[in-house]
Amino acid sequence: MKKNGVSRRQFLKTGGLALGAGLASASPAFPQTYAQESLQVWSCGGLAEAFEPANHEFEKLTKASIAYTGAFAGALGKSLLTGSARTEIFGPRVLELAKKLKAQGKMLWFKPLCFTQYVVATPKGNPAGIESIKDMGKTGVKTILTPEASPPGGKAAMIILKKAGVEDKARANAVLVGDCVQTAITDLVQGKADAAVIEKRITRLPQFRGKLDTLPIPEAFIPPVPVPFTIGIMKWAKNRALAEAFVAFILSDQGQTWFHRAGFIPAQTEEGERLTKKYGVMDV
Amino acid sequence: MFKQWFGNRQRRLVQLISLGIIGEWSFYGIFRCPFAVPYIGCGNCPVIQCPGRNLWMWGWIVMGISAVLFGRVFCGWICPGGLVSEILSMGAFFKNKINGIVSSLFRAGKYIVMALSLYFFFVANNPRWAIPIRTGEFFKSVGLTFEHADPIWIYKTMAVLIAVGISILVPMFWCRFCCPTGGALELLSRFSLFAFTKNKKCTACDQCIRKCTMETRPSESNCVQCGDCSDFCKLDAVTWRSRIRSS
Repeated sequence: MKKNGVSRRQFLKTGGLALGAGLASASPAFPQTYAQESLQVWSCGGLAEAFEPANHEFEKLTKASIAYTGAFAGALGKSLLTGSARTEIFGPRVLELAKKLKAQGKMLWFKPLCFTQYVVATPKGNPAGIESIKDMGKTGVKTILTPEASPPGGKAAMIILKKAGVEDKARANAVLVGDCVQTAITDLVQGKADAAVIEKRITRLPQFRGKLDTLPIPEAFIPPVPVPFTIGIMKWAKNRALAEAFVAFILSDQGQTWFHRAGFIPAQTEEGERLTKKYGVMDV
Repeated sequence: MFKQWFGNRQRRLVQLISLGIIGEWSFYGIFRCPFAVPYIGCGNCPVIQCPGRNLWMWGWIVMGISAVLFGRVFCGWICPGGLVSEILSMGAFFKNKINGIVSSLFRAGKYIVMALSLYFFFVANNPRWAIPIRTGEFFKSVGLTFEHADPIWIYKTMAVLIAVGISILVPMFWCRFCCPTGGALELLSRFSLFAFTKNKKCTACDQCIRKCTMETRPSESNCVQCGDCSDFCKLDAVTWRSRIRSS
């Protein structure tokens, strides 16, 4: 360190100050702790890998306790819409669901949270030399499809293939037609297939991390419905200040980092803002 | 009844320890597993809270090795479902009432369930019959799983719960007549190296059947190597057999 004109102590001090300043600006300040308070948070299950560590950080910062449930948003949304369930915070996929809950007066307000990305996944090293989604229709390419999986993993992937003009050929090339994306992708990791259309978040799951390569899919092929995620406060929020503090934290740089790591585009980024406008993710 | 139940303290202790280790996984398998056949291939299950994601591989390895060594010892010493069935069976109304041909016919049930499980797992790619509640408070998640499951998942789960519950009437009904894992272990147990067995002193008095929670004789069908019969047999006709030593 001395050789470069900066002592080790100076380096650590400067680095520490920079990190501290960065964190101070990146995370919201909490004027109070919420010890003994709890908050019920529900979200689309696809966000679980992001919410779990983010919730843990929030708990450390505020001493509040987060009771988190992550599951298929369609199911959770149905329970909330039909009145058989209650939660204080809800982070659904599909903008329409947030709008319906708001229209029913069950969600007080919502904000854009993040956006999912669809990719063509191949086994590590891309042994079949897949260059684009169009290659999934080529003779001899082995594909994996999950049309019966929950819509974001099933129907959306099939729409993408259809818009790319290769749905029928990709079906003919399928070596596995499953109803669970995570189970099916195991076969892709093991090299039993050459390509599959999946959400980028799947490639970030612990069991698949570093074991798949990905290729982008042109935005024109991607159906808009499953892409945006929102987060909103429900009318059942017992402690409104705590609920608002939680949403503020999740939408802060510190909270959004976890969504980026889990394979999503955070709403609070330049790209996120572009997608917010594109998909009209606005609480009106 | 209680004296008999607590008689084999070593077994109860092992059952309690295993309940602590795999009990939660057992509950997840019944109440929150979204797949047709639970407890297999858990590594990629979307239910990220389920301890089976880390346990399943070791669970099956231990189970397989234990079967080759000691037959259905898993059922008698380790399985939390077996423990629950034993508790429910303590005051069973039809104790020693289902014998002979009826019992033999019912025993085929576990092989039928095993064949169905193998079909759904290997041929039908273990279809998903329920919405996976990936993470959440246990009982709320169980409620949501039931609320959004396909009818076939509800039927399957209710059938399992009813079969376990029938133990209140017919002792160990699930374990003796329905459990597919028990069926698989029963087949493997034919090659087990060690087992409780009858010796020449046996007079076929059937005291062992009357005392046995599984209503069987040592080393016969449904014997789970609990060893209770060796304590009750007044003729000392139950011995620990080793194929290794005898060969």
